[in-house]
Amino acid sequence: MEESNNNFEPRIIAFVCNWCTYAGADLTGTSRIKYATNVEIVRFPCTGRIDFMLLLKAFAGGADGIIVSGCHPNDCHYTSGNFHARRRWIVFRNILNFLGIDVQRIRFSWVSAAEGAKWADIVNDTVKEIRELGPYTEYKKVANYLDEEADSHE
Amino acid sequence: MSRIGVFICHCGENISATVDCERVAQEAGRLEGVEFATDYKYMCSDPGQTLIKNAIKEHHLDGVVVGSCSPRMHEATFRKTCAEAGLNPYMCEIANLREHVSWVHEKGEATTRKAIQIVTGLISKVQRNKPLNTIKVPVTKCALVIGGGIAGIQTALDIANCGQKVIMIEKSPSIGGHMSQLSETFPTLDCSQCILTPRMVEVAQHPNITLYTYAELDKLEGFVGNFKATIRLKAKSIDYSKCTGCGLCTTKCPNKKIPSEFNEGLGMRTAIYVPFPQAVPNKPVIDKEHCLYYQKGKCKICSKSCPTGAIEYDKPDEFMTIEVGAVVVTTGFNVLKTDFFPEYGYGKYKDVITGLQFERLASASWPTLGEIRRPSDGKIPQKVVFIACCGSRDPAKGIPYCSKICCMYTAKHAMLYQHKVHGGDSTVFYMDIRAGGKNYEEFVRRAIEEDHVNYVRGRVARVYEKDGKLIVKGVDTLLGAEPVEIEADMVVLATAGVASKGAEELAQKMHISYDPYHFFAEAHPKLKPVETNTAGIFLAGACQAPKDIPETVAAASGAAVKVVSLLSQENLVREPIVAVVNRCAPPLFSTCVGCFMCETICPYHAIEHEEIKDRKTGAVIKTIAKINPGLCQGCGTCVSFCRSKSIDLEGYTNEEMYTEVMALLNH
Amino acid sequence: MNKLQERATDLLKGGTVKLIIGFEQGNNKIRPFFCEKPEDAEKLIYSDDCSTNNAVYLTKKELIGDNKIAIIATYKEIASIIQLNKENQIKKENLMVLTVDKDGDVTELTSFEEMEKFCEENTPAPDPVVAALIEKIDKMNREERWAYWKSELDKCIRCYACRAACPLCYCNRCISEVNCPQWLDPWKSTLSNIEWQINRVMHMSGRCTGCGACAKACPLDLPIGILTKKMSTDIKEMLGEGEGGNVLSTFNPNDKENFIH
Repeated sequence: MEESNNNFEPRIIAFVCNWCTYAGADLTGTSRIKYATNVEIVRFPCTGRIDFMLLLKAFAGGADGIIVSGCHPNDCHYTSGNFHARRRWIVFRNILNFLGIDVQRIRFSWVSAAEGAKWADIVNDTVKEIRELGPYTEYKKVANYLDEEADSHE
Repeated sequence: MSRIGVFICHCGENISATVDCERVAQEAGRLEGVEFATDYKYMCSDPGQTLIKNAIKEHHLDGVVVGSCSPRMHEATFRKTCAEAGLNPYMCEIANLREHVSWVHEKGEATTRKAIQIVTGLISKVQRNKPLNTIKVPVTKCALVIGGGIAGIQTALDIANCGQKVIMIEKSPSIGGHMSQLSETFPTLDCSQCILTPRMVEVAQHPNITLYTYAELDKLEGFVGNFKATIRLKAKSIDYSKCTGCGLCTTKCPNKKIPSEFNEGLGMRTAIYVPFPQAVPNKPVIDKEHCLYYQKGKCKICSKSCPTGAIEYDKPDEFMTIEVGAVVVTTGFNVLKTDFFPEYGYGKYKDVITGLQFERLASASWPTLGEIRRPSDGKIPQKVVFIACCGSRDPAKGIPYCSKICCMYTAKHAMLYQHKVHGGDSTVFYMDIRAGGKNYEEFVRRAIEEDHVNYVRGRVARVYEKDGKLIVKGVDTLLGAEPVEIEADMVVLATAGVASKGAEELAQKMHISYDPYHFFAEAHPKLKPVETNTAGIFLAGACQAPKDIPETVAAASGAAVKVVSLLSQENLVREPIVAVVNRCAPPLFSTCVGCFMCETICPYHAIEHEEIKDRKTGAVIKTIAKINPGLCQGCGTCVSFCRSKSIDLEGYTNEEMYTEVMALLNH
Repeated sequence: MNKLQERATDLLKGGTVKLIIGFEQGNNKIRPFFCEKPEDAEKLIYSDDCSTNNAVYLTKKELIGDNKIAIIATYKEIASIIQLNKENQIKKENLMVLTVDKDGDVTELTSFEEMEKFCEENTPAPDPVVAALIEKIDKMNREERWAYWKSELDKCIRCYACRAACPLCYCNRCISEVNCPQWLDPWKSTLSNIEWQINRVMHMSGRCTGCGACAKACPLDLPIGILTKKMSTDIKEMLGEGEGGNVLSTFNPNDKENFIH
């Protein structure tokens, strides 16, 4: 088990806001800070726009981990989108946890447009953590229409 | 079937050094819906853009994905390229292969794989994209300036001088604001009235400015470019078209013992009054609370004395609705009164006064004709103590912020006192001296060194009266907290600058935000200092935070430029990234059920109620949410909140985002 | 005839209301009763043993149209009416809320203040069975919780009775019916069953009045009521009451969390 986890390359989707974290990730690039290749970014205007269903769909679609990131409190480009998002995640996370869905696989963070280094750290930490947790097979298994595909990959 | 074009940029070697661009293009070319895929050294260069344009025309592309640098860099460039080739610009998506891939990963299979994945996600998204058109909102070419202090005056004049119309409303009978009350101004000691009154007159006479004094904002509806303001014109009881401003009435009025607001209670006025001799307009109003006729039903002396018969008693307040394209809020500030301070006698010692009252004592006009005479007995005080930071920087008093102007005006007061009372003795108790500003530090040094004002660093614990003297007890912290006791003839408190009365209510009427101290909030503390979060509403001056005159004037001119740039357009052109409530066939009309919970979620108050009516009977069938595209800024918070998924965000629709996520995961 | 029946007869005879939504004794349990004729009024009873929350009918346009109606309401109905009103779903002028006290006297609650007072005074004691089950699940480790819910929700046949029974599930089009994109697979599958419940609970967050009608409606007796119950308890603890009846459409800049890095 240990060994197979070491070879395991997690698929991670990052849901980020355009104004802070996306720009922060751009800064990581312009600063040439290297990080793991496992994360792909989806750009949203604001964390307020990130639908909780998209996170569930990412898991169902085969993601092993998720990053959700936006502007720090009080820095939202739209004033309060991140505050609404934060409330949504507080409730959502609690429900998922009660249902036994692995909330450790969703990394929530605030990364500002100036925090290029923080973005690299968040990505690397998340990849490391998900690598340790292993593939999220539990969830993929209940997404039964994906069974064939999951089998063929293995 | 879509016909998507994929263009992978090498960015010189910025991308191609770690990403196999050729392979990305090849693999993208194999994807369903992709008609054309290629890579090129510099896609943003002229030949690169021509390549895209030619491909769009040649292959009849209906969507484009450019794999290049960050969309924050060149999204606008490539969208324009597409538009030039006849493709709707919103059918173009940018895959960030530089900042998010090549610059952060080493060369290798995983890096190229990631690039392919990102491109794949966006190819799927762009297939769901809809052509969007920029939103045009017509602009009413007129601005409303609320408040006639120096901030409002400067804003109005700047806007008017650019050829735009301005309506200015001022709640008191004259414009001029706090600046008209000041004696001399730091750091040059020029007379406040001398520099202000010409501008007040200019406002009144400017062909592009319509001035309404004694008027307040009652309601503000609408949105940027299209506001509808209801103004309450408080009844002045005088017909200004007849009044010549001769002032006879004010000399005849029997009620002469009303504390004058302009003189901060240090002088008296009549019930029919002009606030000060240089008032604009220089015509009186009747203060109904103190007028004998309004209170007791008898008197009418002013009416009898008026040579033109201009007095009209029983006229109610009037309401006027105006249409404006922009609003500038310049409602200024207030200072705390002395009764706020129990330690300094709750305001019961007549000779403990505020800085604003001292301004009146030092003023050449009223009430002492520029002689410093203390309020209690009119004697010239030989010893004056100035206490800085009264309330300010004191969280215990609920005012943790610095009022900013007090250090400077206290130095000025002490200096004026020394100039006017030869041989007088003045002491300033201060916490820190904050004299940041052009010639400010020099000014304070002058007060200390040339005018020999005694500066003591320390707080005053108590002021009490004893044998006709005010005993000021404090400490000198620079001398090891040694107690200091001064027997003063007068004490001047530099009381904190606070938000003007009714600021909170006004902010709510306009839907702009305010801070915990009821100062209005700017949209961004650094980059949008005169904008509010509501598009089309701007701020200038001390309604935002305590500010001195130079800062206020600078902000006012800044706000004026923002207004002029708005009003000089025929139409406001906005990105079509806005939320929309769906519509469908009857009997549903929309899947929106009208719970209006999205109303509280929208930071821009962009959600309105739309009544769907029966075409024949006019009966309301259903009330649904409607998003005002003029107000919506496209954050999409309402979209992910809506339970029935009745709202969607153009450019980031549920379908587009869902498809992108699933495509990234190869579904 | 008791006082309730007399009042109902008067209301219908006088034409004050067109319809009275109340309860009647069915064959083996108490069930909702729609009384339109004065002569049927004697069938009306007052009971809080009915498994249905009759407030669910108040958003059914096909049933009430633009007519004035009366509802004989217990705590459950009144709590739902208050929430429905906050969500602009109640036409107060067309609704008469009647309740019966233990002496059989009929009271009309004319204002929402009165209704809120009624709810404060008549809040039912929490269900010990529900509380015990929540506690049991809370004590499980994550894998056990997942196994528990997976096996329970695997049984769900997606009949949407939980949705139909809930007075606050009044959307014209439920997210489960949205097909662009197809958020939830329309067929029965463990994944979509779980996703459906997550959606239901998220949509109910801060709004659920805890009447338990969803759980009672479930033909498979799945413990779905504890999901909303758990969510309501946690929300109150974490976020307080929320303004204007909805926790997720409002926020507090000082909301506390410990999971955002």
